[in-house]
Amino acid sequence: MGEALDLGAGVQKISEFVVRVPLASCTLAAGADKVLESIKKALGKLGLDARVKKTGCMGLCYLDPWIELESSGLPPAIYANVKPDQVERIIRRYVEGDLSDALAVRGEANGFKGVPSLNSLPEWRLQVRYVSRNCGFIDPESIEDYLRTGGYSGLRKALKLGKEEVIKVVRKSGLRGRGGAGFPTWYKWRIAYEQRSDIKYVICNGDEGDPGAFMNRLLAESDPHRVLEGLIIAGYAIGASKGYIFVRAEKPLMADRLEVAVRQARDYGFLGEKILGTNFSFDVEVYRSAGAFVCGEETALIAAIEGRSRTRQRPPYPATSGLWGKPTVINNVETLAHVATIFQTGLEEFTKYGTERSKGTKMFCVTGSVKKTGVYEVPIGTRIRTLVYELAGGLPDGRSVKAVQVGGPSGGCIPADLLDLELDYETLQSYGAIMGSGGLVVIDDTNCMVDVAKYFITFTLAESCGKCLPCRVGVKILGDILEKVTSGTATIEDLEILRELGEGIMKSSLCALGGTAPNPVLSTLRYFKNEYEEHVVMRRCPAKVCSRLVTYEINPVRCRGCGQCAKNCPASAISGQPGKAFKIDTSRCTKCGQCLITCPFGAVVKV
Amino acid sequence: MYCEQSKTYLRVPQSGVVLDSRSYLSVVDRVIHKYGSDRSKLINMLQEIQREFQHLPRQALEILSVKLGISLSEIINVATFYHQFRLEPVGVYIIQVCFGTTCYLKGSSEIYESMRKVLGLRERENTAREGTITVEKARCFGCCSLAPVIMVTSSDGSERYVHGRLNVSESKRVVLDYKSRALMKLKGLKNG
Amino acid sequence: MVKVYVNNDEVEVPQEALVIDAIEKAGYEVPTLCYLKGLFNEATCRICVVKVNGKVVPSCRFPVSEGARIIVHDSELIRLRKINLELLLATHEIKCWSCVRKGMCELLSLSKRLGVEGLPVCSECPLQGRSCLVLRGFPCLGPLTVAGCDAECPRRGSPCIGCRGYITSEDVWVRALEEFYKDNVSLNELKSLISFFWSYLPQNLHRLVREVSNVEY
Repeated sequence: MGEALDLGAGVQKISEFVVRVPLASCTLAAGADKVLESIKKALGKLGLDARVKKTGCMGLCYLDPWIELESSGLPPAIYANVKPDQVERIIRRYVEGDLSDALAVRGEANGFKGVPSLNSLPEWRLQVRYVSRNCGFIDPESIEDYLRTGGYSGLRKALKLGKEEVIKVVRKSGLRGRGGAGFPTWYKWRIAYEQRSDIKYVICNGDEGDPGAFMNRLLAESDPHRVLEGLIIAGYAIGASKGYIFVRAEKPLMADRLEVAVRQARDYGFLGEKILGTNFSFDVEVYRSAGAFVCGEETALIAAIEGRSRTRQRPPYPATSGLWGKPTVINNVETLAHVATIFQTGLEEFTKYGTERSKGTKMFCVTGSVKKTGVYEVPIGTRIRTLVYELAGGLPDGRSVKAVQVGGPSGGCIPADLLDLELDYETLQSYGAIMGSGGLVVIDDTNCMVDVAKYFITFTLAESCGKCLPCRVGVKILGDILEKVTSGTATIEDLEILRELGEGIMKSSLCALGGTAPNPVLSTLRYFKNEYEEHVVMRRCPAKVCSRLVTYEINPVRCRGCGQCAKNCPASAISGQPGKAFKIDTSRCTKCGQCLITCPFGAVVKV
Repeated sequence: MYCEQSKTYLRVPQSGVVLDSRSYLSVVDRVIHKYGSDRSKLINMLQEIQREFQHLPRQALEILSVKLGISLSEIINVATFYHQFRLEPVGVYIIQVCFGTTCYLKGSSEIYESMRKVLGLRERENTAREGTITVEKARCFGCCSLAPVIMVTSSDGSERYVHGRLNVSESKRVVLDYKSRALMKLKGLKNG
Repeated sequence: MVKVYVNNDEVEVPQEALVIDAIEKAGYEVPTLCYLKGLFNEATCRICVVKVNGKVVPSCRFPVSEGARIIVHDSELIRLRKINLELLLATHEIKCWSCVRKGMCELLSLSKRLGVEGLPVCSECPLQGRSCLVLRGFPCLGPLTVAGCDAECPRRGSPCIGCRGYITSEDVWVRALEEFYKDNVSLNELKSLISFFWSYLPQNLHRLVREVSNVEY
């Protein structure tokens, strides 16, 4: 603990000085480990006795790496985009009472000496940090921290109610699965509860395969006990004796933190035999999977734990016959965190947010062409515009929004003129998208919507398990046609085939992967038909993305005459003298794009 | 080199280091001892084998199939289904280019292509012939604020670097930098 | 026992029965491909789709429930089956003239039933093995002609003259022309036969014939 040290003139007496360093995958990628090292060095150099505390991330990724300094007598101050060589100055100034480098302070409603309060920033103020309340504040590897914030009080309450009562509470809350489908959580639990079986399982689905969605990872790395508590409550409710947490091997920190949480929970009696003096015995295993997007689908996830691969046609549903044929309930990481919080803080706190049909809050990942990439937790029903402009700060200067992709590869694109739509399950579905895991990707005018559709189809095709015809062959043909469109060899009839085939695949696929795979294609066709037609009829890509449909030119100002482009041109379409600007013969150019990749000076441009 | 145990000819991995059948056998034995002959632990077993050899050598899979009593095609079914598993040996450094949505929209595809070009990789080839660098497409790392992102890991797992906010020209410099580091490492290996 | 309604016909089946069993009991038939009763019902081909209470499901796997309303055929179901069959044919290497299933092809009967064109006359030709006219070197237009006549001409030992119309699939043409070329079938004879009924061929097929024969069509 900190002791008052006399450092000479201008130093405040501090009884406890805490330096919080968020160590989560995103902050570590931004260099938080180096910042941590320089903090330790600086503290040593300045002779300060401070507690360096590791935390999770609060989700404002554009601030990474960030740190927080707190000492008695001064408000906690958050410093953004910290570089190792700035650390000493930041700490020294803070203890002298100079907070001018800080981004914001916590707690002080009117700010402090000109530094705004965190709550006054729209990206914080407009959030409702329901499940993410502890993220970035507590030490994810300290069960004590979690207990101090009311942790495991939810489990205590649930164990006092009967199983039926627990399911009733979840029903009253109206909680819907936060993993994508929005299925009412209580209903799954009820079916599993009613099955007669001495062995039942609950599984926490932490696969999070959507590219651009990392809210589960963030939650599990920053507040793992919350997820675990929800899982234990779920296990109790249906009568399970074992739980699994399914994590991808590619997210080792997430798996590590959850494993630490499981060990600590065992030590404190929240897992194991006769939990908290009741007859309920339950244990959890963290399973590291080998990575497949389709594992987000229940039957494929079960197959992975069983050491197999691929999906199974449902019925039977996992709630009746799942892992090793036993009743199994599978819930998303965020859903379980909601369960724990509902039992901790009561129904009112949850149901006062959200819409009539979808209560509560949701963590949304806003990425793409925005100033403030991050994870924002807001009530369901918030408008897309609010998230993109007020929370995520809007698009960078000079860019205009074209569409917002909601729901990842299973979702659809909402065009710019529909940004006032509310983010809830039914609204999004009626407009051709899905809520999915809550990933929003902002697409601007420098991107081509046909290219975006092709990207998602390529992804889904690679992830297809190959079992059923519509997905294995149909999605491939969708991809082939999109390839034709982006290389200028498609016809207008091909666009009609895209629509018809897409609808057929959606209706007849075996699982939701194939069933939602055509969504990006169908939604871009619906809202951006003219862009498709321009590709097909005019053989032109208005966004200048599709390499075969643009004209390549060499900017004579930047060209140094090195001749690399000419050497690499497969059509021998570039000519010139060494030292003088080279020129592309457009009649020979096959638009392969090699010259642009090869040029060391960025002299090749697309027009 | 002929391996008496598995009755096959050993293929030499690209890094130039020759492994003999004894090390495949001892690793598989160790893995089976740890997990029991439990077929449902197949994925965990493959993960351990890959941790040891940085990929899944064919010989090891053949030995595993015999010891577990399941067909080789079943093992290859699982090994090719999940992304974590590699069936080809890797170079000294593995460069993974994130192909998540944000990174793709910000040009990771061009970065991937330019890296492959710099290394002279042919179609379907992922590792440079001298065994220096492997370039792979990766699923989303979840660091979308740093897009486009690449992650570089050494094949022995000891080093890991993340490079964010890359562009094409910088990515070329990065890949050449790792290539020369890899060459030095390989030279060091050869000299013992 | 539960009561279900197959196309409005009431029928009683055991509780653990599948929709396809109920359909069978009611006297209707749903097309299938990958289904093997008692052995395999993983629902991978999606041909056996029917509607249960309005929802499209694979009948080989879906269980019955009390009062379920099952529709075996309607325009949407037929369209879905057609699409899936076309997808299957797209990945199927069509070489009916040398295929062991010539004359008893499941895909052909399904194609005829659903109205999908894509398989040549050879798929229903009764001449098998060495008696195949194409493999014996005769310019029989079977590989290039749409199936549906039950291979009348070859049945009587006479090479097909293509009166039902040509196959549109390019890769079948490529393989067939290669086969003819291998058997040294006179391409001029072939071309005169083609022009008998098919004086109008689309551009892409023109190009193919020209490529193989190096002569202007």
